[in-house]
Amino acid sequence: MLMPRKVRHRKQQRGRLSGVSKGGTTVNFGDYGIQATEPGWLTARQIEAARIAMTRHVRRGGKVWIRVFPDKPVTQKPAETRMGSGKGNPEHWVAVVRPGRVLFELAGVDRTLAEAAMRRAIQKLPMKARFVVRPGTHGAPELEV
Amino acid sequence: MAEIPLAVQTGRPTGSRAARRLRREGLVPGIVYGHGAEPLPVAVAARDLRAALTTDLGVNALLSLQAGDKTILAMARAVQRHPVKGVVTHVDFQTVRRDEVIAAEVPITLVGEATEVLHGQGHVDQQLFTLTVRARPSDIPSSIDVDISRLGVGETIRVGDLELPPGAATDVDVDTPVATGQPPRAEAAAAEAGAEGEAATPAPEERAEAADQTVAAAEE
Repeated sequence: MLMPRKVRHRKQQRGRLSGVSKGGTTVNFGDYGIQATEPGWLTARQIEAARIAMTRHVRRGGKVWIRVFPDKPVTQKPAETRMGSGKGNPEHWVAVVRPGRVLFELAGVDRTLAEAAMRRAIQKLPMKARFVVRPGTHGAPELEV
Repeated sequence: MAEIPLAVQTGRPTGSRAARRLRREGLVPGIVYGHGAEPLPVAVAARDLRAALTTDLGVNALLSLQAGDKTILAMARAVQRHPVKGVVTHVDFQTVRRDEVIAAEVPITLVGEATEVLHGQGHVDQQLFTLTVRARPSDIPSSIDVDISRLGVGETIRVGDLELPPGAATDVDVDTPVATGQPPRAEAAAAEAGAEGEAATPAPEERAEAADQTVAAAEE
């Protein structure tokens, strides 16, 4: 699973999830993508589950890009622990996703197969997401107004 | 190349609040600049902009902006879109002259079917999607078509192989790859492993999956 090799601070504050994504909102590497339409935290396990669902459906051929990286540690207190005594232990890693962010990209397969594979991957995600195509390719318009 | 007339409103208020109000009314805020002139904030109807930029001439169409009694020859440059809705939120118009050479990003379109690559279970990997072309505004093509029907596995079409229309040139390195016929993923992984002298090691993705299964088994 994806996680940082080393971090400056082991624990982070939660932050806010308002607004839309500032960057990474277009398909830049492949032909197709999964774009988040809701905000949320995407765990390393969910990223891996989505990637496996996609690559298994495509089987042969195709190339996958993961456009998000889980660099935010999430802590949890152990079960049945009294409140207090400081912040819990880092348990897992998440990527902070705001609407518009392209999460995965895929290339090298036809549109039907790509859409089917990405629909399966979307099922593994904690937020609503949609299948997008690079503008000007595979029947997608160059400009949406 | 024919010019597409596009009516623009001048004297729009600037700032994010005013821009938001314009968008609510179906207008797209924009700016006209170039040739050392003072930048001119404008607003254009979203429907008209869409009609102007989705013709056969593409987004590099030569526009004749009708700003009151003035006519400005311009091209749409940076088109900003909303990250979720996809609608245009702002547009830059750069003024041009008919006789000056300008640079424009022209989309590259792959045409035909790479039968040899597809029969070999491979795929065509497009690496370059736009090409910076230098030409007079009337000579800028709407797109550059690349025929990939003769592309084989392991072969590459480069910028030097592209046929540009007369009057158009590019500064991009001629060796820059445009499209490559890639072998099937399993073959490519085996070739990479063989090249590294690790023929017995599975592909990285298979390794990751195997590691996951090991972890899952350990957890059970």
